[in-house]
Amino acid sequence: MKYAALLTNNADDIAAWEQLTPEQTAAARANEIPRWEALFAELGPTGALGFSAELDSPSTAKTVRVRDGETIVTDGPFAELKEQIGGVIEIEAPDLDAAIAIAERIPVATSGSVELRPVIER
Amino acid sequence: MQYLAMIYGDQAVWESFTPEQRDDAYKRYGAFAEEAQQAGVMAGGNELASTTTATTVRVRGDETLVTDGPFVELKESLGGYFVLECDSVDDACIWAARIPGAAHGAIEVRRIHVKEGEES
Repeated sequence: MKYAALLTNNADDIAAWEQLTPEQTAAARANEIPRWEALFAELGPTGALGFSAELDSPSTAKTVRVRDGETIVTDGPFAELKEQIGGVIEIEAPDLDAAIAIAERIPVATSGSVELRPVIER
Repeated sequence: MQYLAMIYGDQAVWESFTPEQRDDAYKRYGAFAEEAQQAGVMAGGNELASTTTATTVRVRGDETLVTDGPFVELKESLGGYFVLECDSVDDACIWAARIPGAAHGAIEVRRIHVKEGEES
């Protein structure tokens, strides 16, 4: 089964993150990087992790709608939520429990959440 | 640069579709994907199963908390995404506007973070 893991962060944490100096951002990243590296080093060779993407901050988002043939582009995310998607990782796992066992190891799970959604394969 | 185009729509509308309407929607998505592929813009994508199948995982302290359902309940929910290879966010928005879901839902476009030293 293929799952999309949607990595979400608390909006307040994202806002606080955006206030950090480049040095502070680098320090915070350095703190998390070993956990990410361990995850990819262990699971990468097993083929359990597919495409992954870290997204730029929600404040940089554009939202696109087409109404009556006209394209309307607005600044900001689709919805102002308490938690915002910050990344996506595709997971290949035999079942949901196996996917959960991977999701709980994704560093974001300790601060925000990881939503697992089955991917429809047609 | 790569952009993630997240497709938000009203799931109830999709679920109310007849098989013919679904076929039609899939055809329009197929046509979009093919057009984007030919233009060298298509870099991936997935259709997600309904939010009723979602499982949300949080770890607090040493405990893993697993709940059924999405991290947030919305009238319009994330139904899928495309990964678009574009030169600018403006180009990505032009392609996002061609995604069939843009005509009734909304497409959120976010640049995929490029790590320092890997600028492409």
